[in-house]
Amino acid sequence: MMKKWWCLLLVTICWFVAGFAIFDISPARSTVAATSPEKISRIISTAPNVTEILFALGLEDKIIGVTSESTYPLAATKKLNIGNFWQPDIEAIIAAKPDMVITLGFPLYPQQQNLADRLSRLGYNSLTVFNTEKVSDLFDAVEKIGAATKTQQQANMLITDIRKKLDHTTLLVKGREKIRVLYVVQREPLRVAGRDTFINELIELAGGENAIGPTIQKYPPIGTEQLIACNADIIIEPTMGQKNTGQLQNNAIQYWSRFKNVTAVENKRIYVVDDDTISQLGPRLYEGVETIARCLRPELFEK
Amino acid sequence: MEQLLTAKKLFRRVLLALIALIVVMLLCSLIGTQHISLKSVLASSNRQNAIDPDYEIFMHVRLPRIILACIVGAALACSGVVFQAILRNPLADPYILGISSGAGLGTIIAIVSGFSWTVWGRSPIAVFAFVGALGTIWLVWFVGRFTGKSNVTGLLLAGVVVNAFFSAVIMFLTSVAKSQQIYATIFWLMGNIAEEDIFVLWMGAGFIIAGIIALFYISPQLNALSFGVDDARSMGINTAGTQLIAFAIAALITSIAVCLSGLIGFVGLIVPHGVRLIFGPDHRQLLPLSGIAGAIFLAASDTLARTIVAPAQLPVGVVTAIVGGPFFLFLLIRYSRKIGWLNK
Repeated sequence: MMKKWWCLLLVTICWFVAGFAIFDISPARSTVAATSPEKISRIISTAPNVTEILFALGLEDKIIGVTSESTYPLAATKKLNIGNFWQPDIEAIIAAKPDMVITLGFPLYPQQQNLADRLSRLGYNSLTVFNTEKVSDLFDAVEKIGAATKTQQQANMLITDIRKKLDHTTLLVKGREKIRVLYVVQREPLRVAGRDTFINELIELAGGENAIGPTIQKYPPIGTEQLIACNADIIIEPTMGQKNTGQLQNNAIQYWSRFKNVTAVENKRIYVVDDDTISQLGPRLYEGVETIARCLRPELFEK
Repeated sequence: MEQLLTAKKLFRRVLLALIALIVVMLLCSLIGTQHISLKSVLASSNRQNAIDPDYEIFMHVRLPRIILACIVGAALACSGVVFQAILRNPLADPYILGISSGAGLGTIIAIVSGFSWTVWGRSPIAVFAFVGALGTIWLVWFVGRFTGKSNVTGLLLAGVVVNAFFSAVIMFLTSVAKSQQIYATIFWLMGNIAEEDIFVLWMGAGFIIAGIIALFYISPQLNALSFGVDDARSMGINTAGTQLIAFAIAALITSIAVCLSGLIGFVGLIVPHGVRLIFGPDHRQLLPLSGIAGAIFLAASDTLARTIVAPAQLPVGVVTAIVGGPFFLFLLIRYSRKIGWLNK
């Protein structure tokens, strides 16, 4: 009666021993023979802002695949679609035979990290950019991509260009009093951009100040009490990809009218903005800063 | 239907089921977003060091993924059978005694503590999920034992309460910790089947197949137990011992399945019921057939998940519920009147 149990135990142990004997258990199995930068000619980008950077660096011909979110510039939509940002299709990536796959390293997007891990385990050359989400990271990413594709010169030019355009707006608002902004990413529950976000950085570049103080979470949910206490001067809501801005604007004014004590509501300073350039760190970042600056001080831009 | 289950009949059915499993695995490995030809796969397996995308996709993406789905599906279905038997509750599934929340708590702790090592190719998230799942279910078991050696209700209640308590702790930690880290967990916990290292698959398969065979060994005792503890004892069966062994093995294989692929719902609930409705409640047959059916079901579901909205992918749990639910209802209506085990 006990014999069958011993048999099972023995066979199982043999199975495991065989496993250790046959397979290499060292996790560093990835032997990525990094292709030299000059030879990189088949690039896949899994994020829209990376695609934009690649286009800005003049690498259009070398891009062979993008995710479906890549809609700018228009030529990006003509590239092979390898799934969406949240669920890239690894089979499509392999079938396209890339020699470099660029993914985002920001921990908010575990799917991206997961893809990078899987690809490097299979021996593909993957480049991770944006390990944090700060404006300075945009410049790091451009530099990194430039170095990996042998386009350092274009990269430096691009960085100078973005900085110059950013400075244009920041100089315009320099020395003026800070306007307190509440950037609302979600209404129910009310969720806003906290201090530790790059949207916060954009607000500051645009001459504003986040109405919400330091919080534990990046995009903290806030209660009505906090909303009234922070008493923002203006409220900005992103369209989140929806196109009917006018309707959203009316909708927003109606929604916020219930909080009459907030300065922004009182003064009717509620804006719905197209966040295409605001919520991603791409080469058009300066446009995002300008969009916010326009909300803060429309008079400066009426010329 | 009251023909006795002979060894020959059992053997024949299991063999047929295994053949069906292999056919399904082959079919699944040929279906995908990229069209690959078996011919070029075979051709490049002979040639050395030629990187052929077809071969790469077949050997390194699809096959490991299908094998993983089969292992996990078999483990969940078999442990579903066991929990339904020892808890004598048709609603029991592998996660009923706190495994889901325990695994969740484990992953949150792993992420908050920020470890970055690997054990046998498993990330800290997976290892902590395993430890959390196994720890929680044993906690529930010991709490349940306090209510009386043969009291199944106590065990179930302990499971429900521990589940609720740990879910609350998870929500608390999620609110306190930096939110960006938590997304990684939620994504992982939703159940994700991806290609795995062959060594991980080998080890996982070893544990799970051995577990299923061990459960098969005690299936006659499980038959007796499903009549109730008192009846089983009067048949001369060591009920406490059997319950403990069955519980320990089911807990182990479920925790391994969770460690390999997160929480995949529904398989452990409907596959055992489906098999029971069609082939009857004898555990000697129910266990192996459920294991194979679970493997087929999850492999097929995963294939649907990765192709149906191509080039995007669905979480496999969505497919198991959408496909499995109506299919299960169909079986329920079609067969339950015939055998009437529900209103026994």
